Amino acid sequence: MTKTITRRGVLVGAAASAAVSSTSLTSANASRPKTHEVRITQFKFEPDVVVVGVGDIIRWSNFDLAHHTATGNAFGWDTGEIAKGMSKEMVVTGDMETRYFCAFHPHMKGTITIKL
Amino acid sequence: MKKTISVIAISAALCAFQASAQDVADLNDLEMAHVAYTADNIDIRYAHMALALSSNPEIHAFANTMISDHTAVNEAALGLLDKLGATAQDNFFSQALNDGAEQVINNFSNLRGVEFDIAYAANELAYHQTVNSLVEHTMIPNIDNDEVRALFQQGLEIFKVHEGHAEMMVKELTE
Repeated sequence: MTKTITRRGVLVGAAASAAVSSTSLTSANASRPKTHEVRITQFKFEPDVVVVGVGDIIRWSNFDLAHHTATGNAFGWDTGEIAKGMSKEMVVTGDMETRYFCAFHPHMKGTITIKL
Repeated sequence: MKKTISVIAISAALCAFQASAQDVADLNDLEMAHVAYTADNIDIRYAHMALALSSNPEIHAFANTMISDHTAVNEAALGLLDKLGATAQDNFFSQALNDGAEQVINNFSNLRGVEFDIAYAANELAYHQTVNSLVEHTMIPNIDNDEVRALFQQGLEIFKVHEGHAEMMVKELTE
């Protein structure tokens, strides 16, 4: 008793499998996103490199008197102004820019490393 | 030649501040707070002029940073004074700063394009160098109140970043 697998069946199965896997991963990430803390202090992002997964959250907290931002190098994303004592969060997406800076103080730079 | 004259005029106005550094050391904390508040407001005025007169995106970015940072420092200063139940006191040096600023603003108003950009950047560098030196070596060592001194130190940290930024801006514009 053998089961006949057609080419179409394989393709649909593969697509369905991929969709399930994708959904499962998304669900897993959505239910357990990690929050990565980045302190902004003395005109530096600390740490200046964060290693994250898609769906994780990065939270920038400003301890300086000056307002800061975390802004993608090509302006693809931007936290907006972060005043002293305030925090801004961003959900990591697979296609987001991974190098960023402070729009007010361009010498302040940070990197996001996205785990595959 | 005109550019050189403009920069010299700005520098001459700043020299007037340096001449009275010794007298600044004798100011009380509330007078020093007034000086800092005045110096912040002057740089905010320069920044607004830059936004109005320059079309250079780098100048605009720098000017927006000046507005944001100096406003933040002034808000913190007002918050601290409120907490201490005190009011900043006007004094000869705040007045000298304002008089110098009027000269600079009059000079800026006659400039356009790259001439303005160079003059603005050069003034920002000279202004921050002068004020930072005064804050670090004359004002901070003579402030009595710990919280006021701490605020000046935080401000100095910010203004040193501005000085470095202005230095790069001058270099880029004059190369």
